[in-house]
Amino acid sequence: MHKLYTFLKYTFITLWTVFIVAPFLWAISTSFKDFQSVNSKVTYIPWLDFEPTLEGWRVLVKSPARGGVDIVEPYFNSIFVTCTASLISIILGTLAAYALSRFTFKAGFVRNNDITFFFISQRIMPPIVLSIPFFIFLSTIGLLDSLLGLVVVYIVLLMPIAVWIMVDFFNRVPKELDETALIDGCNPYQAFYKVVLPNSIPGLIVAGMFCIIFGWIDFFFAFILTFTEVQLLPVKVVALNSSITPWWSLSASALISVAPLIIVAFVVERYLSKGNLSGALK
Amino acid sequence: MAKIDLSNISHTYNPSDPNPTYALNPFSMTWENGKRYAILGPSGCGKTTMLNIVSGLVKPSKGKILFDENDVTNLITEERNIAQVFQFPVIYNTMTVYDNLAFPLKCRDFSKEKIEERVKSVSDTLRLSSFLNLPARKLTADQKQLISLGRGLVREDVAGVLMDEPLTVIDPDLKFRLRRNLKEINEQYKTTLVYVTHDQNEAMTFADNIIVMDQGEIVQVGLPKDLFERPKTTFVGYFIGSPAMNIFESEVSSDYSVKINNIEIKTNSNLSKIKEKNVKLGIRSEFINVAEKDGQNTIKASLKRVEDFGNFKLLTANMGDFVIKSKVNREMPISNGDINLYIPPEKCCVYINEKLI
Repeated sequence: MHKLYTFLKYTFITLWTVFIVAPFLWAISTSFKDFQSVNSKVTYIPWLDFEPTLEGWRVLVKSPARGGVDIVEPYFNSIFVTCTASLISIILGTLAAYALSRFTFKAGFVRNNDITFFFISQRIMPPIVLSIPFFIFLSTIGLLDSLLGLVVVYIVLLMPIAVWIMVDFFNRVPKELDETALIDGCNPYQAFYKVVLPNSIPGLIVAGMFCIIFGWIDFFFAFILTFTEVQLLPVKVVALNSSITPWWSLSASALISVAPLIIVAFVVERYLSKGNLSGALK
Repeated sequence: MAKIDLSNISHTYNPSDPNPTYALNPFSMTWENGKRYAILGPSGCGKTTMLNIVSGLVKPSKGKILFDENDVTNLITEERNIAQVFQFPVIYNTMTVYDNLAFPLKCRDFSKEKIEERVKSVSDTLRLSSFLNLPARKLTADQKQLISLGRGLVREDVAGVLMDEPLTVIDPDLKFRLRRNLKEINEQYKTTLVYVTHDQNEAMTFADNIIVMDQGEIVQVGLPKDLFERPKTTFVGYFIGSPAMNIFESEVSSDYSVKINNIEIKTNSNLSKIKEKNVKLGIRSEFINVAEKDGQNTIKASLKRVEDFGNFKLLTANMGDFVIKSKVNREMPISNGDINLYIPPEKCCVYINEKLI
């Protein structure tokens, strides 16, 4: 029985690994192919099945004047917008979440839960509903087609995630922790940043991870709110497509688009395996 | 260290309600400097609310709190210089044991040398010295509670140390030693200690004075002996002592006597001015003795059960509808059937409307 279980377990893990890893291997292989290797017959292994070339990768860094698409600038634009918006969302979201978790708000019929729901509701409505208001808003304040404009919009999109995760997290941090800090001589602000915040690092990491993922993969708003001055990576990658689909450079761009998220996943995984996310509460 | 005065304090958690329910009914009390107090009562009786009011975590709906005659009612917790230990261990997970113990002193800008000296002293007392460099989260639950306790004791200048059932998670052997340590600390530093518990043994062995609470009321404040021998209400009689006090419905029969089941029991209470006929007679099972034969203040009851507790025997007997419990020497021979139980008049407590005459 035990052997059967082990056999099934390893079979499942192997299949799952193939399912996850195969597309990446395929993309890596394709990114080194040329037109001929992609379109003639199915080829798999470099040097055996086809002669690898770096052309798919070169296109990504070459300037348009020299026949390339240059995704370097959009890449750094995406990093800047995602990181800045995530950071600001985490800071503001954490403060809002702490207040919602620890203090009681009353305004007419509105209570803490209603305010939390208001934040979450921003993510419930379809993004298309927000596109016109955002467009008009950014155009009014003169931030259309700018990095700052995108940061503002992404904060609106990411902050609900941060609030949602952190409210839940703070609710699970015993209130006695804050009270003990007050008794030990902290004022309410010190209690928050000296005691509650260091204990909330696991929550901040999870919230940060979600913000980075959702910020990084957004195509819709990056597409609607930018034109020529500023471009983000997802828009640029889509723009790679033409009458002849360049599978090789699409694969290469897909790989480097996914790379930051893989790095984030590895960092969080390391953190998880060190046990830092567990045992944070008594 | 300070004298703590609670003057006309009352508290409700729903002040906007036209008929608010009070978690604490109005009361006044003084906690003398350097004494040990235990607040004893069932869960939900307002013990924790009282502590939180003193530490400033809760602002009372009415009344004033004075530390050494200074009004601190409107001061926030940080400014009150008070220590409080909660029922479950609250530790700073991200810090080492040393940093946890040093935290209250660091917050108050003590010198490094002073911090080291105090942390060493407290960690020695609580036997935490060998763990000082470990991350606090790696310790066991009772060690974590020792850290909480240590943070409460590390400041010498606190107005008082408030403890909310701090030894619940600690194992019995260590509990006993810690209680003794707390007493020593109190004697050495003259720290005012206030200890909330629902364990009467803990309260009796720890405190100079015990405050018994029930449903937001302070029902009796006194020495362990007073609470045991002269409970001011039937609630205290039931709550203190194991087994609970024997309490019998009875009728006043003369100036100093009551009747239970038509048996006249003489008491030392003067009942001549009592208008009510129905009263309650309370007597501790420790004071009821087995008599050889029938006589004055003796009642005949049929023995139902004898339980041997090792150091004493607990007899349970029936007299009509009444159940009487008596604690006797375990060497005493007990025969089955009817027994005579002697009720000493000087140990009888008579209650009208649940209050002692």
